[in-house]
Amino acid sequence: METATVVFAGIGTLAIFSFLIKENPFYRFFEHLFIGVAAGLLPILTIRNLLYPNVIGPLIGADIQVFPDGEIANPYNYWNLLFIIPLIFGLFYYAVFIPKVSWLSRLVIGISLGYSAGLSIKGFFAEMIPQVLGSFKPLVVPGSIGDSVNNSIFVITLLLVMYYFFCTFKGESTAHNGARYTGRLLLMVCFGAFFGSTVMARMALLVERIQFLVGEWWTAIF
Amino acid sequence: MNTRWIYILILLTIGIPIGFKLALPPARMPVAEKLFSVVDNVSNEKGVAFVAFDYGPGTSAENLPQSQVILEHLFRKRVPVFIFSLTPISEPFLRSVPEDVAKQLEKETGESWQYGKDWVNVGYRPGGGLFIQTLAKSPNIPEFLGKDVKGAPLSSYPISTRVSTIKDISFLGEFTGLVGMFQTYVQYFQADGYVPIFGHGCTSITIPEAYIYLDSGQLNGLLEGLAGAAWYSDLLRDKYKDREPDRALVSNTALGVAQLVVLGLVVLGNIVGWKQRR
Repeated sequence: METATVVFAGIGTLAIFSFLIKENPFYRFFEHLFIGVAAGLLPILTIRNLLYPNVIGPLIGADIQVFPDGEIANPYNYWNLLFIIPLIFGLFYYAVFIPKVSWLSRLVIGISLGYSAGLSIKGFFAEMIPQVLGSFKPLVVPGSIGDSVNNSIFVITLLLVMYYFFCTFKGESTAHNGARYTGRLLLMVCFGAFFGSTVMARMALLVERIQFLVGEWWTAIF
Repeated sequence: MNTRWIYILILLTIGIPIGFKLALPPARMPVAEKLFSVVDNVSNEKGVAFVAFDYGPGTSAENLPQSQVILEHLFRKRVPVFIFSLTPISEPFLRSVPEDVAKQLEKETGESWQYGKDWVNVGYRPGGGLFIQTLAKSPNIPEFLGKDVKGAPLSSYPISTRVSTIKDISFLGEFTGLVGMFQTYVQYFQADGYVPIFGHGCTSITIPEAYIYLDSGQLNGLLEGLAGAAWYSDLLRDKYKDREPDRALVSNTALGVAQLVVLGLVVLGNIVGWKQRR
């Protein structure tokens, strides 16, 4: 089974790469296959990994272990019946398709929005405050020219980029326009770094696929 | 020019180092080195490590070697590890990576690594930030997590005796290429002012973003794409002399050569374009 999986994965990889030569039915078939698998995978994973072990299983007592001699490891926990309440409440989402009771869906959406907003506010402060504090750097670090230069570059870049975004008014001053221009240039340097690393990431994917074709796939075939 | 010539050139550039297993020494990556020293100082006397594999086949080219080297380092140091994920598609990796690492170490050292004692697979956990926050605040983490991926109660494994609250988590490792996933841990994996030592493995695309967190001290170490994993692998070889070279070094060589060719093509394209415009 494992060999068949490897062989099929290799054929799929070659099919997708065949697009580099030209559009062809072999590529088209595997493209549709991939879309179908991706669409089907998510509901199955949700049922198997989320709904069944966490809700349906405990509700119907499927998590109760029965030993070979018939003894039961743990009795049915009747408190599990309470899972029905959140289960029904969650199903209210689908009320959006029934005009008469569509207001029920707003209850669930409202609660989801409420907790998401609360969670986000907390998360924002936990994430951002250390970063704001981290941006206060000494421009002169005694005994380390390297750190002093690094910190100065950091602070100047931070100020100029912030100036570019916040001071968007039209001005005749050379200092104002120069600061905005430099801020824009520094942003371009950042985008260049992002672009370079994106190319590297895409290339890493290709390296992995070729490694798979040359290694596992070739070995499985021959 | 027919672009297919470029595809063939890139194919050969990557295929030759992989086919002949050419492994050049990787470049030094200071932040990966920092992560190595952080993991090397994690105590195996008490506490556990939590490692999240938040990746799927789409980014496994970079995240898989990263998670392998970190797990190997933790296993070698005998730090018990809880493995989990916030992404359902990571399921095969949650199972195969620790098993493969344990097998490789058993072959090399003759010692054994056991499921339930040295690691446990908690599986995919839904809920994202809500799950992480509840886990961090839980007074009894094994009880909160309930069961492992096999359906067995976590309390039945010896590893569970080493952890009750977040303060017993001495190291948190997270590997992902998904936007926003890593930030979930930065935001919520903390309680009562305690934040575990945090190491992150990112894909090359997210390196510039991850550096911000490294700079602010929210991250204690970082593996930058495949290059970070290759350097970490080299550091492991320096420390454990019997260790066999792994695939990360060959992949990194192929990647480096391909990058050089792309760089050369960019320069060449600009020169030709400049000449044509004149």
